[in-house]
Amino acid sequence: MFLAWNEMKKNKLRFTLIVGVLMLVSYLVFFLSGLATGLASLNREAVDKWGATAIILTEESDKSLPQSSLTTEELDAISENKTAILGQLNSIATNGEAKQNISLFGIDPEEFIMPDVTEGEVFSEVNEVIASDTLKEDGFKLGDELELSSTDEKLTIVGFTDSARFNAAPVLYGEIDTFHKIKFGEAATENETQINGIVVRAGDLSSISTSNEDLEIIEIETFIENLPGYTEQALTLNFMIYFLFAISSVIVAIFLYVLTVQKISMFGVMKAQGISNGYLSRSVIAQTFLLAFTGVVVGFALTLISGAFLPSAVPVSFDIFTMIIYGVVLITVAILGAVFSVLTIVKIDPLKAIGG
Amino acid sequence: MAILELNNVTKTFGTGHKQVDALKETNFSAEQGELIAVIGPSGSGKSTFLTIAGGLQTPSSGGVLVKNQDLANLNEKKRSKVRLKEIGFILQASNLVPFLNVDNQMKLLDNVKKDNMTTEELDALYDNLGIKDLRKKYPADLSGGERQRVAIAKALYSKPSILLADEPTASLDSEKAYEVMELLKKETKQNKTTTIVVTHDTRLIEYCDKVYEMTDGVLRLMEKSSVK
Repeated sequence: MFLAWNEMKKNKLRFTLIVGVLMLVSYLVFFLSGLATGLASLNREAVDKWGATAIILTEESDKSLPQSSLTTEELDAISENKTAILGQLNSIATNGEAKQNISLFGIDPEEFIMPDVTEGEVFSEVNEVIASDTLKEDGFKLGDELELSSTDEKLTIVGFTDSARFNAAPVLYGEIDTFHKIKFGEAATENETQINGIVVRAGDLSSISTSNEDLEIIEIETFIENLPGYTEQALTLNFMIYFLFAISSVIVAIFLYVLTVQKISMFGVMKAQGISNGYLSRSVIAQTFLLAFTGVVVGFALTLISGAFLPSAVPVSFDIFTMIIYGVVLITVAILGAVFSVLTIVKIDPLKAIGG
Repeated sequence: MAILELNNVTKTFGTGHKQVDALKETNFSAEQGELIAVIGPSGSGKSTFLTIAGGLQTPSSGGVLVKNQDLANLNEKKRSKVRLKEIGFILQASNLVPFLNVDNQMKLLDNVKKDNMTTEELDALYDNLGIKDLRKKYPADLSGGERQRVAIAKALYSKPSILLADEPTASLDSEKAYEVMELLKKETKQNKTTTIVVTHDTRLIEYCDKVYEMTDGVLRLMEKSSVK
């Protein structure tokens, strides 16, 4: 550390530039990770809030909630008793000024998927809904009467809940009867037992079973992965992040290798004096750690600062735990990049380096 | 007691008709507190002699004893430890680390070896070498003579038994060259170090106790008075 620190102190500009490059790489990694988390949230936020273990859909729906159609009578065929019925439809809502795609969740307010109300009150009548507070940014407010694209029924926003989106659409929560009225219109009474799925919360997936062979128990994570476009989008962003890890490793390796080659004669003299390969290698590793750590910390801070100034339309959400993991990975790959320099040091012949 | 001995040492490079005998059968012995010069023209084998004596390379045959420990039988890691503990090098090219100031050049050695000079001893050494005011300066800020004196301080700081100097005055004018030799003599006698100076400059031998001449790989002891 002594050699590493003193060299950095003496050659501030050179090492600031290296830290700058590492900072930009980590900034990009953190930002992409924020984008990946943000885009994932757009799809799964509402589902994550259920805290559920599985969802039960019809086998023929191929894990698609809107395509699944079952009745509340199927509840009897399910082993777990902590269940919540769910009716879901997509529509376009307008309050006369703003227009937005929405996902309507018809639920039983007594069951566990009922969200917490952060503003206003809980729905108590048919056609009253609680809305995701992300709709406020789109110009919706408490008391708004919403017209939906697929029906003449009108909904009233009586409360807001924390950001809740499903498949990129803000969620409106209402009574299951509200869902029936909108989906079936005048035939609502005949279809009052119709739902799309049953959400189950259990200690363990294996404890959930159903005697109805037409139903499929789907683990929540699998259900999310099967949302349209979700996996493709996540894979694309994750690949970009993994490539950045590899690129940052190569960048650090090149920088350190060039620096090491410039110092071959100096290292040779030190080896002639009896300073061990181990000490010199540790010094290079320590230097890499300091550079990578500083770059990652500055990149981390810069990401959070710029995140605070981003318009809400940008789907960025920073998960600190994931960012810390990525930061650690960046530092680790940087240190792996230093291995080439260490090998170079080990190979230096002190005799040649001093011109013997 | 001999601190450094070379017994029947040879060094050969290449094979067949390309074989070069850089060092023919060589016997050499140096006592504690001796300042010895090895003179000879370029390519005569002086540097090969010095690097074998310093454990930087192994002889083709023969033994190199540093305080009775045969370097020829040790691997590079162990020879490196012997160099660190027993041998100080003053090289033609400065052996200073460019990004460390004078004080930190010494601290670097504290990081890798214990039993170096105490603060008081180092202060006295700085005084002797006339570099007390250069403590915070970096090698690039020093003149050639100052750099060489700092290099001597660095070589002596770890209290080596043997000091090996390869053309220590090569980059200096006559006045500075004599100054450096005067310092080496003083430190050799004061610290009871064994100092071997390899040089082609015969004017420096007046400071030495013994003079060897190297010619075509053959080392022989000379009378100081016979050296031209």
